[in-house]
Amino acid sequence: MRALPGLLAARAPTPRLLLLLQCLLATARPSSADGSALDLPFTSLPLREEMMANNFSLESHNISLTEHSNMPVEKNITLERPSNVNLTCHFTTSGDLNAVNVTWKKDSEQLENNYLVSATGSTLYTQYRFTIINSKQMGSYSCFFREEKEQRGTFNFKVPELHRKNKPLISYVGDSTVLTCKCQNCFPLNWTWYSTNGSIKVPVGVQMNKYVINGTYANETKLKITQLLEEDGGSYWCHALFQLGESEEHIELVVLSYLVPLKPFLAIVAEVVLLVATILLCEKYTQKKKKHSDEGKEFEQIEQLKSDDSNGIENNVPRHRKNVSYF
Amino acid sequence: MARRTEPPDGGWGWVVVLSAFFQSALVFGVLRSFGVFFVEFVAAFGEKAARVSWIASIGIAVQQFGSPVGSALSTKFGPRPVVMTGGILAALGMLLASFATSLTHLYLSIGLLSGSGWALTFAPTLACLSCYFSRRRSLATALALTGVGLSSFAFAPLFQWLLSHYAWRGSLLLVSALSLHLVACGALLRPPSLAEDPAVGGPRAQLTSLLHHGPFLRYTVALTLINTGYFIPYLHLVAHLQDLNWDPLPAAFLLSVAAISDLVGRVVSGWLGDAVPGPVTRLLMLWTTLTGVSLALFPVARAPTALVALAVAYGFTSGALAPLAFSVLPELVGTKRIYCGLGLLQMIESIGGLLGPPLSGYLRDVTGNYTASFVVAGAFLLSGSGILLTLPHFFSCFSTTTSRPQDLVTEALDIKVPLPKEGLEED
Repeated sequence: MRALPGLLAARAPTPRLLLLLQCLLATARPSSADGSALDLPFTSLPLREEMMANNFSLESHNISLTEHSNMPVEKNITLERPSNVNLTCHFTTSGDLNAVNVTWKKDSEQLENNYLVSATGSTLYTQYRFTIINSKQMGSYSCFFREEKEQRGTFNFKVPELHRKNKPLISYVGDSTVLTCKCQNCFPLNWTWYSTNGSIKVPVGVQMNKYVINGTYANETKLKITQLLEEDGGSYWCHALFQLGESEEHIELVVLSYLVPLKPFLAIVAEVVLLVATILLCEKYTQKKKKHSDEGKEFEQIEQLKSDDSNGIENNVPRHRKNVSYF
Repeated sequence: MARRTEPPDGGWGWVVVLSAFFQSALVFGVLRSFGVFFVEFVAAFGEKAARVSWIASIGIAVQQFGSPVGSALSTKFGPRPVVMTGGILAALGMLLASFATSLTHLYLSIGLLSGSGWALTFAPTLACLSCYFSRRRSLATALALTGVGLSSFAFAPLFQWLLSHYAWRGSLLLVSALSLHLVACGALLRPPSLAEDPAVGGPRAQLTSLLHHGPFLRYTVALTLINTGYFIPYLHLVAHLQDLNWDPLPAAFLLSVAAISDLVGRVVSGWLGDAVPGPVTRLLMLWTTLTGVSLALFPVARAPTALVALAVAYGFTSGALAPLAFSVLPELVGTKRIYCGLGLLQMIESIGGLLGPPLSGYLRDVTGNYTASFVVAGAFLLSGSGILLTLPHFFSCFSTTTSRPQDLVTEALDIKVPLPKEGLEED
């Protein structure tokens, strides 16, 4: 974003603002190359030279506020490498811009210098420039506009976060498993794994063949654990180290013994055996019953025929049995 | 002993329907819900999607390829011992798979062993069913096959739940116990007492006549192409959704939604096939085209609602084409050659089922997402439906002489040869 329109722009400065401006002039130099031949104060020179001499990338962010914003506005910024940073806040109000007090704070301590204020129309602009080199400069930077109410805009600088897996990883005794940690679009300097012993984090050493750490891409790391034991279960932490800080994530590993699924398995097998036995026995039973009833029926039929015979013509021809099966 | 010369069309037959219902649930429901395990295998073995897809495709191919063997054995020994053996084999395969240390173990245990177990269960059961029913055979078969739809609906979330508690090894162990119920189902298959079935023609003569039959060969090619694309969503949908950052449980539920609409599609299509005049081939082509289109649209959909709608559409259309795929065959080859034709058809189209999923997995490995896989699957289906256009009587206004499947089936029964593979078109 190009720097502020005409810094000491067309307004009659009130005494308060004048004082502020004098302070600013004394300590900072506008970076707009408008060419005002102000002396470069000593304190700002290193900053400017630093910003021009390094080849860090430039991060610019801005927040807009109005007098009616009733919630503080926040912006989350993910940063992993040292950068030059420009933060800008705009404040629009219908009231008197001169009556607005502008301050910047990092976390909760006030920042004294290096910020610029300007105004156009009914909008007040303030810009804060700095360089983030290490984790000490990370945190929350807030701009405050105070009229009767205080309006606040916050820029939160954080290192990239690692992806979370919500469910635990389940494995079995004697098996091997792979724990993965990855983050999107980030290139950590270093990955480290820790296992927890009670509440103490113990780094995972590469012991014999048990632990193997590698990763195919720079944005992920894999911890392979072989010959699992029940004690290997628990929380594992992976740490990603960036120039600007650290990020960590935890993975839960659960190691089950084979008995855990074996019990339901045996129960179901027993149930199936029972079912099969019942079905086959039922069938044998109904077959036996039918056989008996068949024999009973045949007997009756023979009796019937005999009585028919005795009623009718005497007959020596043997009757054929009729066997009817009712399968 | 005098025996019945006609099937009872009821009585113990309904128990056989129940047994067939559970069997189709345990065989095809498990196969279809395997997509849930797919993701776990890729992570556990660190292998590419193509290689892991071979597990399911070998299982499907062995099941289809081996079903003639199953029906032959059951004609010799009766359905009961064959099905019970099949159940034990299927459960054993899953049991051994839970101890697997490499992908090859899984190919052999799930693919070969469980696949042959499945081949031995399904074909004899349908043969037994046809021995019990003649007039109501279609109804009985349809009822038995609803097991597939209902189980796909239930098993996908069940398997996901098992995976979250027992990981894939424990889950395979429990699925093995579940598959053991096939043995109990087999115990229910009391052999009916029918007169001896005379052989019809010579199988070799029928086979050679079929191989020279133009329309039959074209139909086989069409069905093989369809078979190649058909199974891909059931295998890769869960993985595709996880690529889109869905959680595993909702992804499994989407599979269930597809399964329900599959069920509805079957029933509607069966009714429609009877109600609409004209050759069934046209309806088959319609459903196949729609299935291909919905498959090809999958990669385009990102929003959850769009994905759900596509899952419903795919389920409905793919369920609709399944029963019709069988009904077309009698129109083509005539009733005398239908069993031979079915066996041959199954064997050849199993090639499609074998190659489809690994091809899709390979495309995924090469391109990094499932877009190409789904589009190619849709393309296979569309090309299969295109070939259907070339079948005879496609453009005629009248059905061929014996178009109603029920009539064909009754006719077939008069020849007294058991109908072994109805419903094995279920992929």
